[in-house]
Amino acid sequence: MSEHKPQTLPQWLVYNAATRPQEVAQRYKCEGVWKEFSWADVRDEVRALALGLRARGVQRGQTVVLLSENRPELYWAEWATMAVGAKAVALYPDAAESEVNYVVEDAQAVCVFAEDQEQVDKVLPLMARHDNLHTVVWWESGGLWSYKHTGLLGWDALKALAHPVGPADEAWFEHEVALGQSSDIAVLSYTSGTTGLPKGVITTHASLMHNAELIGQTLQVPTGCEYLSYIPLSWSTEQWVGVTMGLMRPLRVNFAERPDQIQEAIRELACELVFFGPRQWESLAARVHARMLDAPPWRQKVVDWGVHIGRLARADQLDTRTRAWWVRALLPVADTLVLRPLREQLGLKRAGIAFTGGAAVAPDIFRLFAAMGVMLRNIYGCSEFGLITVHQGARVNAETIGETVSLSSPWGAPMEWRLSDNGGLEIRGGAGFDGYWGKPEKSAEKMNDGWFQTGDAVGQGSSANELIYYDRVEHMNRLKSGHLFSKQFIEVRLRFSPYIREVMVVGDPTREHVTALVNIDGDVFGRWAEHHGVSFTTFTDLSQRPEVLAQVAKEIALVNRALPEQARLRNFVNLPKELDADEGELTRTRKLKRDFIEQRYGVLIEAMYADQTTTAIEIPVRYQDGRAGMLRADVTTGCVPPAARNGDQKP
Amino acid sequence: MPRPASPPCKWPTPMTEALHTPAMLEARDLTLKFGGVTALSEISVDIGHQELVALIGPNGAGKSSLLNVLSGFYRPSKGSVRFEGQDIGNWPVHRVAKAGLARTFQGTHLLPHMSVLDNILAGRFMHMKSTLTQAFFYYPFTHREEVAHRTVAEEILNFLELEHLRHHTVGTLGYGMRKRVDLGRALAMEPRMLLLDEPMAGMNGEEKEDLARFILDIRESRQIPVVLVEHDMGVVMDIADRVIVLNFGRKIADASPKAVQEDENVISAYLGAHE
Repeated sequence: MSEHKPQTLPQWLVYNAATRPQEVAQRYKCEGVWKEFSWADVRDEVRALALGLRARGVQRGQTVVLLSENRPELYWAEWATMAVGAKAVALYPDAAESEVNYVVEDAQAVCVFAEDQEQVDKVLPLMARHDNLHTVVWWESGGLWSYKHTGLLGWDALKALAHPVGPADEAWFEHEVALGQSSDIAVLSYTSGTTGLPKGVITTHASLMHNAELIGQTLQVPTGCEYLSYIPLSWSTEQWVGVTMGLMRPLRVNFAERPDQIQEAIRELACELVFFGPRQWESLAARVHARMLDAPPWRQKVVDWGVHIGRLARADQLDTRTRAWWVRALLPVADTLVLRPLREQLGLKRAGIAFTGGAAVAPDIFRLFAAMGVMLRNIYGCSEFGLITVHQGARVNAETIGETVSLSSPWGAPMEWRLSDNGGLEIRGGAGFDGYWGKPEKSAEKMNDGWFQTGDAVGQGSSANELIYYDRVEHMNRLKSGHLFSKQFIEVRLRFSPYIREVMVVGDPTREHVTALVNIDGDVFGRWAEHHGVSFTTFTDLSQRPEVLAQVAKEIALVNRALPEQARLRNFVNLPKELDADEGELTRTRKLKRDFIEQRYGVLIEAMYADQTTTAIEIPVRYQDGRAGMLRADVTTGCVPPAARNGDQKP
Repeated sequence: MPRPASPPCKWPTPMTEALHTPAMLEARDLTLKFGGVTALSEISVDIGHQELVALIGPNGAGKSSLLNVLSGFYRPSKGSVRFEGQDIGNWPVHRVAKAGLARTFQGTHLLPHMSVLDNILAGRFMHMKSTLTQAFFYYPFTHREEVAHRTVAEEILNFLELEHLRHHTVGTLGYGMRKRVDLGRALAMEPRMLLLDEPMAGMNGEEKEDLARFILDIRESRQIPVVLVEHDMGVVMDIADRVIVLNFGRKIADASPKAVQEDENVISAYLGAHE
């Protein structure tokens, strides 16, 4: 194996197990201690699983669905699936039964790895509906003791099917792995379904390895780098970083005990490579703000001062040589007093490579973390094509999404890009787009004369290769006056306010100005209300308090200043309930489902344009336990003070 | 009032074979008096293997007293308690516990300044063999023992979904969580029978549902009988195999949840008798 480079992920695994058998590959916090798995351990586990899958009749070219939080077993299951030549589909662990049903049907899955009772309960009804689906494997026994179902078996039972592993089995495994080719389908990545039904993007081993190689090179990821696996495997990025780069560099991939333990895990590990989605970075920033609200005023002042000095010193790069002498002199003091403790508190002490992706991040987030000494880099790509841009080099321009990556790897050519007439980004080269699973007509729609249409509207930054992301091409909006604006652009900037959790901006060619539906942050406002002596009962009540409305108006006014006159927000309402993925208002990646929200809260939107002061609304809600109810509320329309709106004329 | 014939044999339960073996706990003619007050009078109760029995009754009916007698906290003035064939009526509390009868308390009797983990480890006390000297010099045996106990404690934390609170001080937790820790400590004793005194008092609906799930899971995974005193009729009727109703220190019903709901005596005890 060592004379030529491995061409599939399982080949990399076998290669690592042969060349560095005792090196720690993965760590998992289990029963309160970090358990280590060497490459040889991982290979043995994957082999046992692959033999188990063989015994259950899973064959080359078939599909296996993975339904679990991030944990080593999930990775092993994926590698074992690939080792027998099948392809894997990872779904969000909180996917609803109907979503799982759709994927099982679309991808013709034969086997599902379901983490625990919660997941098994979603999958069992599907077994009756789909004859192909013959095996369900769980690895958390809780609650499953009395489940008797043909085809349902535990993790250990699956491995026991092939126990003991004889030399013939080992040879079979080696042979199966060696059969793999880089052009084999490794993964189907289902799109989030913001536009229509989800589509399974065909991802080959070559594509995974090409993108992992590019990320590794552009971010200069060292071998043996500590990485905390947190973003779900259904994201292509985790497939590139945790799964593929983890094998190729290799990285040491760590798993938290439970997903809600991520803060504790990251503090214990102090990882060198940190990848969070924008929402997680935003929630980290919001945490700092929220904790500061609890601190006595003098401490707040010290922290504000320290962060201010940090900002002056490191606004867009960590190199401080060009800064004023007094900033350079004060930085060590600010670092000792404020910035280093902040980094330690957030577990970013050793975070040399911190990156984000998936959606746009407010530039203020970049600046806050840069001030702390953690330079966030944005990574932008799409599951269909792969990596497109990354922030490279010493300077990070927070307004852009990074520079285009035009490196080649053994598995792909350099990428080329161009802008189409409607401002959309088109690309070709790289590992290429292999189409959607079973939807050739949809795949053809994405191509334009050999160029892949990303559908993202971008602009060029200060240097020719730097891109600024505006929005999806189809989401760029016009007002009645003909002025173009991007809703997401405004929303991201509003969401940075600690007081605002979610916000949806409204405006179209029939409207004269821009308005917003605001989902306030109940926790932060709850504490704020306590400090300001504002009494409230429920979230609904809190959201409609005049004091709260005034505070939100103030936050909007701040953002308005950065916007062109015509795109400024005039009116807003605070939603009487939180937006919820379970009610279909958000996708599982917490993106807004605009049409649905617009329809659901249509009364409020009309009221804003009709200058109505209060509006009664009834919203059907579904509680976590499945009960349905009706939320009734009187919602007040908030106005952003015109003085603030027109006040700042500076560019 | 005549006692209904015991033990009744028609409650629905999946473990039918368990019913034909002799009861695990047999209490006969228990009477408990505090001075002139008769808290319990001539109560006989049988608890079978793997049974989930609920003990209900109006305030002051003697539910907690009965539980206290069964677990050895009170000595009965008359009558006997046999656990797996042994008469435990006059045993000291720690001996009853060692025999495998674990209980939780109304309210919580935890160590508020210690962590969740330490509280659960406290439940392992009677399984610990190292002496003070051995612990002081930290013998290899002591080390191994500590790891073993910690593993058991971790399994319980996992089972009750308390991992994230492992190192939190119990005193800082909410009431619902403290009740869960209390249950964890009882489980740490590896009991052969579990007595729960109002495990759901003061909880909100969601916490109750969680705990009901845990109680069912305990019975399913450990295959031990559970006796619980509870006021929430919804929970009792949902999860219990059999319901024992007390009123003024007497047993007035002992049957399946459905039968108890229709029982005239029970209805009049709860709603007041027609004069």
